[in-house]
Amino acid sequence: MLSIKNLNVSIQGKQILRDFNLEIKAGEIHAIMGPNGTGKSTLASTLAGKEEYEVTSGEVIFNAKNLFDMSADERAREGIFLAFQYPVEIPGVSTTNFMKAAVNAKRKHQGLEPMDAKDFLKLMREKMALVEMNKEFSSRSVNEGFSGGEKKRNEIFQMAMLEPALCLLDETDSGLDIDALRIVANGVNKLRDANRSFLVITHYQRLLNYIVPDYVHVMYGGKIVKSGGKELALKLEEQGYDWIKEENSELV
Amino acid sequence: MSFTENIAKQFALIGNTNVAELRKNAFTAFEKLGIPSSRHEEWKYTNIKTKLNEQLSLTPVDSQVNTAVKNYISSLPPYSFRIIFLNGVFHSELSIVPQMKGLTVCSLKEAFTSNSSLVEKYFGKLVNYSEEHFAALNTAFVNDGAFVHIQKNVLIDEPIYIQYFFTASDVNAFAQTRSLVILEDGASIQLAEDFRNASNISVQYNHVSEVYVGKNASIDIVKLQLEVSNAIGVDTLEAQVERDGKFSAATITFSSPNTGTGKALIRNNVTARLIGENSHADLNGLYFGKETAHIDNHILVDHISPNCTSNQLYKGVLDDESTGVFNGKIFVKPDAQKTNAFQSSKALLLSNEASINSKPQLEIFADDVKCSHGAAVGQLDENALFYLRARGITKQEATQILTYAFAHEVIEHVHSKPIRQFLCDRLKDELKVNF
Ligand SMILES: Nc1ncnc2c1ncn2[C@@H]1O[C@H](COP(=O)(O)OP(=O)(O)OP(=O)(O)O)[C@@H](O)[C@H]1O
Ligand SMILES: [Mg+2]
Repeated sequence: MLSIKNLNVSIQGKQILRDFNLEIKAGEIHAIMGPNGTGKSTLASTLAGKEEYEVTSGEVIFNAKNLFDMSADERAREGIFLAFQYPVEIPGVSTTNFMKAAVNAKRKHQGLEPMDAKDFLKLMREKMALVEMNKEFSSRSVNEGFSGGEKKRNEIFQMAMLEPALCLLDETDSGLDIDALRIVANGVNKLRDANRSFLVITHYQRLLNYIVPDYVHVMYGGKIVKSGGKELALKLEEQGYDWIKEENSELV
Repeated sequence: MSFTENIAKQFALIGNTNVAELRKNAFTAFEKLGIPSSRHEEWKYTNIKTKLNEQLSLTPVDSQVNTAVKNYISSLPPYSFRIIFLNGVFHSELSIVPQMKGLTVCSLKEAFTSNSSLVEKYFGKLVNYSEEHFAALNTAFVNDGAFVHIQKNVLIDEPIYIQYFFTASDVNAFAQTRSLVILEDGASIQLAEDFRNASNISVQYNHVSEVYVGKNASIDIVKLQLEVSNAIGVDTLEAQVERDGKFSAATITFSSPNTGTGKALIRNNVTARLIGENSHADLNGLYFGKETAHIDNHILVDHISPNCTSNQLYKGVLDDESTGVFNGKIFVKPDAQKTNAFQSSKALLLSNEASINSKPQLEIFADDVKCSHGAAVGQLDENALFYLRARGITKQEATQILTYAFAHEVIEHVHSKPIRQFLCDRLKDELKVNF
């Protein structure tokens, strides 16, 4: 589904990703952990198409297409979804209208007619229920005045609405209380299937108890320095990153 | 014939013997003032003198109803009140004026005789024609207009829709339109004034509204300038608000893409004088500039009495080479303690060639007041744009949606539900937003 080869990315002349490599197959869940500032969000934003991130070399193939030939919105319509670490507030645009535009943009891309108003509202209700979001949020402006946890739930709600092929979750667990964490994780698990892949960025092993990954990678200095199964997350939780930093001291 | 000779000759020709004294004084004032050039401080960024035709034709012309007029009237929502003017002349056959107890709606021409004592008392008393060029010209030449009077404690909850069409076939025509609105104590009303070019040439018009808001009375007035890509228009709104009264005005200007010669210049002067204690003014504006349109909003809130509040929210979206002017004055007179005055002007520039000149002007002569103002000029928020695009929405649609959200805030301030809905639909049309 996704193949990242020797990816180098800079921001404002500062190199963040260095010869980054990763293969994700359909249906797999990959977790990425790593110290603050090592480039995890940079990776997610670059894949989603944020323009400030400059790709200096390397390639990314997504479902047999060159990712860098597509604009951010094209990538989304092709099935890439980024759940933002910091979701953006959009005053004046209701969640309903926002989702209507997004769902219909995707349908248009697939050669389908805009969704019937009744079906759309039914879909909204169904997906809001999935993340136990109160329906009053549908008429409120997107993320405006939402609590940190509500914003994260809203990201997963949107993901459920758009049914992407590849879900990039950037610290979706941070800021969630214990109940919300379970709700969000359940939401994600309900979306798991053989054709959908996940890249889950997190600092906490706890999330991975709920969303059990196939692979865990440790990022440091702009690249993956260690990969393993879910037990790697447990080891990090116990021992921290010192041993990783020591093994890779030449990178920083 | 020189400009002044031409105007004087036309003035002598008008047969209007009503308010003759006032008109004569206004004419004398205009003869001194003339048309302002950009050397005049209040017209520095709006060079109207070079835009207006030199040979102005001011005598009212009664015109035939054309298809543009008919089509637009049939496209309007079914308002209960519909008062229609063509080039400043009232057309009763196109209007709908239901009888309602405590409410008089008629043409000014009729009111000159049927309500002469009210006209005598109120007409021309708010406008400062000795200093305001266009108010002077309008007062001198005005022949007809709209007259609205609401008696004490009468509440009308249907909007009164006044439609001014300009159908000139003569490029020199300079239509003078007018309205006089009087709310007695405790009365309440919603009013819309819609200005529209229904001709296939560039039109010129000059409108004056005088609005008296009695004690504890309230009015919500909306100025619609939705088809002004081919017009030069000056609109002066003067309001006076007594104790506990509420005055709310919204000016909505859309310049759609030019089709003809494209002379779009709109100047709005809105003045609210808070003469009674605890009165309130809410002045809002939304303007869309395209191509070479020029849209100028000059606002003045005059806090004369204590404990009054005022709010100004102006938002502009300027594209292509369009230009905007915002001049927002807040005067707080020595007696106006405990004034609370707020002003905000925001402009979105959608192209590198578009520009705005924004100037707040606060003159405060009382010490216990709260005044604040803010001006922002910029582009759409990049993070918001990216967020929408990350959900599959194209850049173009994301821009339209965010512009809609930016502009919609002003429309939310319109109290009349049918007019708000009408504007909301128009905004969606304008921005091709379909939700
Ligand atoms: N817009 C930017 N301008 C300048 N530097 C940036 C920008 N965005 C990211 N960086 C820098 O790039 C580096 C990587 O940032 P990134 O957000 O990818 O880290 P992260 O691994 O997601 O960290 P965290 O765990 O704290 O979220 C950091 O040093 C950060 O300061
Ligand atoms: Mg991050």
